[in-house]
Amino acid sequence: MTNFAAAEADLVTQLQAGSEAAFRTLVERYQDRIYRTVLALLRSPEEAEDVAQEVFVEVHQTISRFRGDAALSTWLYRLATSRALKNRQKARAKKRFAYFTSLLGFDNAVLHEVPDHAHPLALLEGKQQLRLLLDRVARLPDQQQVAFTLRHEQELSYGEIAAVLNVTVPAVESLLFRARQTLRKHLQSRSCHV
Amino acid sequence: MSDSPIRSAPDEEWDDLMRQLRDQPNARLQPFFYTRVHARLAASAASKSPLLPGWLRRPAYAVLLGALVMTLSGDGATLRPAAEATHCETCPNGQALQR
Repeated sequence: MTNFAAAEADLVTQLQAGSEAAFRTLVERYQDRIYRTVLALLRSPEEAEDVAQEVFVEVHQTISRFRGDAALSTWLYRLATSRALKNRQKARAKKRFAYFTSLLGFDNAVLHEVPDHAHPLALLEGKQQLRLLLDRVARLPDQQQVAFTLRHEQELSYGEIAAVLNVTVPAVESLLFRARQTLRKHLQSRSCHV
Repeated sequence: MSDSPIRSAPDEEWDDLMRQLRDQPNARLQPFFYTRVHARLAASAASKSPLLPGWLRRPAYAVLLGALVMTLSGDGATLRPAAEATHCETCPNGQALQR
């Protein structure tokens, strides 16, 4: 067992014993990685912070059930990505509801409006092509989007992504291949039209 | 796949875009994130300990349950008059009504 793995196992043991200090260590060690992953999927800093908090609350409440079959970081990424996707589905359902109610003539569009945030980093940099890419990434199917984000923004290995998504490494390769193909096709057709 | 020695212009553009994606400045959380998580944990613990189950604290369910209890605990008074109407209450020995 490597030093890191041993330290992680020790942290899990302390967490399962209910140590407040261990929980604080866990949050401080992983908060930025979890926040960035969720932010990359949701593209809203407020929602990303909210989901990141939910992830750590869930960890606190369910750590007793963690058996160590996967690495702690894998488990955290899994919780973060699944919660982010759930959150996004809810937001989309709200958007659809707002659309239908607006068709029926109820004047509550403002009430149900879900903000469509541009990626704050892309806005900051003003990189048009990057912004286009991020917009297209947001439209990929869920698993492709998670695989792409974990690979290209979090720089996880194929093996780590496979563990997070609970699929095989070839399946990750296939997801990434399809994601890149779709993105390149859209970006090229866009640049041809400009 | 994309690591072939002969690289086309679109390949280079794509690689450049991926580099830009990787090199974005890291987004950071607002300070005191742990404090906010801790507060949320405390709130979640407090909301889990009430006497009534969550669904019963919703007014619509509570009213529905109340109505259901009232219906089921009734003494069947709504069904009885039809049966009782066939007997004379003022007559001795509860004789049957003459129709």
